[in-house]
Amino acid sequence: MREVAVIGVGMHRFGKTGDDIVGTKSVGELCRTAVDAALKDAGVKWKQIQAVAAASSRFSGGKGWGLNGNDVVEDLGSTGVPVYNMSAGCAAGGNAFNVGYSMVAGGVYDIMLVVGGEVMPKGMIQTSGVEEATDPEFLRQRCIGMPGPSFWSTLARRRMFEYGTTEEQFSQVAVKARQCSVHNPNARFQKAISLEDVMNSPYVSNPLRLFQICPVSNGAAAAIICSAEVARQFTSKPITVATSTVATMTFDDMLPRGLADPITDCPNLHTEAQNAVTSAFERSAIGPGDISFTELQDNTCYYELAFPEEWGLCKPGESERLLMAGETTPTGSMPINPSGGFVSFGEATTAMGVFQIAELTWQLRGQAGGRQVPDAKVGLAQTLGLGGNATAAILKR
Amino acid sequence: MSEERVPCVEGLFSEENGVAVLHGSKCSNCQTPYFPRSAACHNPDCDDSNMEDFDFGGKGVLWSYSVADFPPPPPHKFDQPFVPYVMGVVDLDCGLRLIAQMVEKPEEVKVDAQVQLIIDTLYHEDGKALTTWKFKQI
Ligand SMILES: [Zn+2]
Repeated sequence: MREVAVIGVGMHRFGKTGDDIVGTKSVGELCRTAVDAALKDAGVKWKQIQAVAAASSRFSGGKGWGLNGNDVVEDLGSTGVPVYNMSAGCAAGGNAFNVGYSMVAGGVYDIMLVVGGEVMPKGMIQTSGVEEATDPEFLRQRCIGMPGPSFWSTLARRRMFEYGTTEEQFSQVAVKARQCSVHNPNARFQKAISLEDVMNSPYVSNPLRLFQICPVSNGAAAAIICSAEVARQFTSKPITVATSTVATMTFDDMLPRGLADPITDCPNLHTEAQNAVTSAFERSAIGPGDISFTELQDNTCYYELAFPEEWGLCKPGESERLLMAGETTPTGSMPINPSGGFVSFGEATTAMGVFQIAELTWQLRGQAGGRQVPDAKVGLAQTLGLGGNATAAILKR
Repeated sequence: MSEERVPCVEGLFSEENGVAVLHGSKCSNCQTPYFPRSAACHNPDCDDSNMEDFDFGGKGVLWSYSVADFPPPPPHKFDQPFVPYVMGVVDLDCGLRLIAQMVEKPEEVKVDAQVQLIIDTLYHEDGKALTTWKFKQI
């Protein structure tokens, strides 16, 4: 395996259809902005890109077949390069990064573009839409009726029972996230909010409130990756990919995903994420104690408390204390989501894995401005997607 | 008992002498329980999938719950006006972690409570009561 470097990243600021940020831009236009920025950042010309790994979307572009990478190639100029369209729900961007990383590390290509973009439909993401008694999602909705956020509020409620987490503490995560977003020109929300603001926002699914759950957004992100040897032609300070991993859930996982699951003695609720992160630690020989900061998938504030514990970044039940002591802010001992996270960006589902790579790169270069993690040396990124998909990546300088 | 009671989905569950029964299956090789029925065992450590029909029900402990403060989208159906309801996740003594609506109001529900599986009305249609499985605190 060869060493792989990130030499350029770019993003289109996240927004909502019809607003001043993204307006009526298509996913193709959003991707174009992100890719142009990444190429410029790397000092690389489009014709030098040897292959493309793209996140597949079911919501926008891709000719209805998830061919989002082909759209990007046609737009930038059909050079005949190989395109890999990766589908993994919300983990698709992380998956595309892993395929790019693996190809370059394996010596198949020297320089690749990784890209993800999304124009999301309004409102909550609809489920399968199939009306058949053999479809578990149909049964879940017909026989019980579970709105999307109720899944997260069930987990939040359990944490309140196990660790005494308060609604104020969930809210404090959002306050901290939005404080970071003030310093992020790519965030959709860039205004700080108070604890009162969060506590006064309505319940979406009790105990979780509107400001504690990420909305859907439109946005795009891109990264140029290459072999360490090629990187030297473009920059004296490449960011090194210590590792990139993909994992799926295991049978003993105890997250209530369907109508019913066999009870096992597995304490973990997100085995796919834990497997991806744990295998990233193993493959890179970098441990939780070496991580300068983490960008994790915070669809809801609950995850900022639960995930660091599930991965050994801190001890079970310790997250609330670290949060309240300010240790998860960019200047704390365990910075989480210095970008502002999904809560500040909204989720442009398949773009998020690449969005994280861009933030890790800016942080490791020391280009993160007011949200900079001081002396950031090693960054961890993680995504989680429908179907029990997860990815992790560790970048270092 | 004037109104006719019909399961909201046929074949998944029934009410036998007032007792709620879920129709699932169990692997006789590794004892893994499944609901709804599964054609094959999904346990990767089980090398001899052998599925048999099995009925589940009885009591359990409430692992956690959430509240539907707004009506979920179709295919969910409910009686007007919409009343917020609780969805419980229960570890049943029979070995399943099962999801269902609860009959109690949100403020009455407690994590770790003992619950009983029951069959109860979900919504009304064409003069009939459409039923589903639910939990009731005991
Ligand atoms: Zn078996």
